[in-house]
Amino acid sequence: MKYLMLIYGNEEKWASFPAEAWPEAIARQDAFNKKYEETGELIGAYGLGAEMQARLVRRGQDGLPAVTDGPYQETKEYIASFYLLDVENEERAHQIAADMPWADEEPVELWPILHDSKNDL
Amino acid sequence: MTKTLRDADEGLLREFAPQVLAALVRRYGTAQFHLCEDATQEALLAAAVAWPAGGLPDNPRGWLVTVASRKLTDQVRSEQARREREDRIAFATPQSELLAGPADESTAGAKDADDSLALLFGCCHPAVSVPSQIALTLRAIGGLSTAQIAAAFGVPEATMAQRISRAKQTLRDANVDFSLHGPVAERLPAVLHVLYLVFNEGYTASAGDAVTVPALSGEAIRLTRWLYRLLPGEPEVAGLLALMLLIDARRPARTQPDGSLVPLAEQDRSRWDRSRIDEGTVLITSALASGQVGPYQLQAAIAAVHDEAATMDDTDWKQILGLYDLLELAAPNPFTTLNRAVAVGMVQGPRAGLELLGTLAEDKRLAKHHRLFAAQGHLLELAGEQKRAAEAYAQAARLSTSIPERRYLAAQATRLREALSEEKRQPFAVNKVLTLSPTEMIPPVRMSARMPPRWMRSLMMPGRVSC
Repeated sequence: MKYLMLIYGNEEKWASFPAEAWPEAIARQDAFNKKYEETGELIGAYGLGAEMQARLVRRGQDGLPAVTDGPYQETKEYIASFYLLDVENEERAHQIAADMPWADEEPVELWPILHDSKNDL
Repeated sequence: MTKTLRDADEGLLREFAPQVLAALVRRYGTAQFHLCEDATQEALLAAAVAWPAGGLPDNPRGWLVTVASRKLTDQVRSEQARREREDRIAFATPQSELLAGPADESTAGAKDADDSLALLFGCCHPAVSVPSQIALTLRAIGGLSTAQIAAAFGVPEATMAQRISRAKQTLRDANVDFSLHGPVAERLPAVLHVLYLVFNEGYTASAGDAVTVPALSGEAIRLTRWLYRLLPGEPEVAGLLALMLLIDARRPARTQPDGSLVPLAEQDRSRWDRSRIDEGTVLITSALASGQVGPYQLQAAIAAVHDEAATMDDTDWKQILGLYDLLELAAPNPFTTLNRAVAVGMVQGPRAGLELLGTLAEDKRLAKHHRLFAAQGHLLELAGEQKRAAEAYAQAARLSTSIPERRYLAAQATRLREALSEEKRQPFAVNKVLTLSPTEMIPPVRMSARMPPRWMRSLMMPGRVSC
């Protein structure tokens, strides 16, 4: 069963983090990624760029991309990183989410990913 | 791009996987299982390139064992060169043995069978997580490549490679010995469970290119057939094989060309695979006669009763209910109770089924499971409670993570809601229809006989409904 884990944050939050704490923070996250890549349960871990780098894209009348700045979010926090898991069951996904480095301070958002299976109803 | 084997040849090639692995493990010891497994895989890949070009060797098994031994020796030598200081077991294979046919060729048959079985038990060892048991079984016994297994499960090859190598490491650390000791019956359930899960995965996954995305249900049937040949006297093995055949028989009828789901009640039964049904029925009949009835045999018997019915109306629900009663005794499980509740609904009336479902709502495994709500929706509709049925279907759709199931369940909710708003416009006519079959008042025995029209309608897709 595949799951998506999301971590939220914002500039303010990252700025409040002391510079000297970053190496350890990165090491902790790397250790988590390595641990679950090795069990064959973490499919991928991805960090997103800054909010100001995000764009809104539409298809313009000429069929070309019409790109604008944004999204200007209502929410204070935006997605900072996401992780794809493939695990035996939901319970296991909970365990892994709870093992994220800062899950004791901030909740990890966990979403099931829809699949294509067609069991008999 | 290397030339790949045609499907039939690839199947033949993979038949050799457990035999070659068994021969290697016999020669180099079970402690070298991980190396033997890698070497077997490499030999299979080499054969997939060499055989289509140069033709099938006279002794394919001997060819594979020789090539695998050479690969293994190379691997050990390079590892030794790297780790000179480590005191590793040296096992140089005499060159003569690599060039000649394998030494154990003549006595290979019976020993291969036992050893292959032992390898299968090893792959399904409880020290390894179930997804890893599945991956390892498909590679070591099924002879599928890591890339194929990864494609079948929709994960990157690197993730699957990691899972397999971790599983082999775990088996090594746990000192799992790949020999047949102790009663087979005790170790069999884990193996059957893995094969059953492979079948389900394949039964459900969308069809892809057969070469790159192997059909897992076909692979599960192939491996279970192989296991049945090795253990013909185990009725649960026969039961599992029968179950797979009887369910797989419906494959041609269970999806529409656009990939959407066709429920059992609506399937065009003329498209079911008769030969699979016949084979499964023969298997389950003789397995049941052995007297050692188990969960797989009972599920196969239920599937057989469904497959025997020429139409949904002809389904012998009383017999199905009797089988679910036995299944609940043999292997108590909330999902069995759920299915039994539907059968109760068909035999004794929807109210009786709903009552039984009510007792399940407290079970943690089921309280938020889409199947509970789907069954409720079905029985509520039969009971004439269209509004509550629509709510139950909508809730089931929200809780399901399968896209086709979700679409189907949401369509059921929509259909019922549309029927309800239609009813408001023509209250008289529809009310009259509804009061025509107050299901609660029909004597239990006659239920299935009276049920057909409404039952059929309840499982119809929207667009084809005329309520």
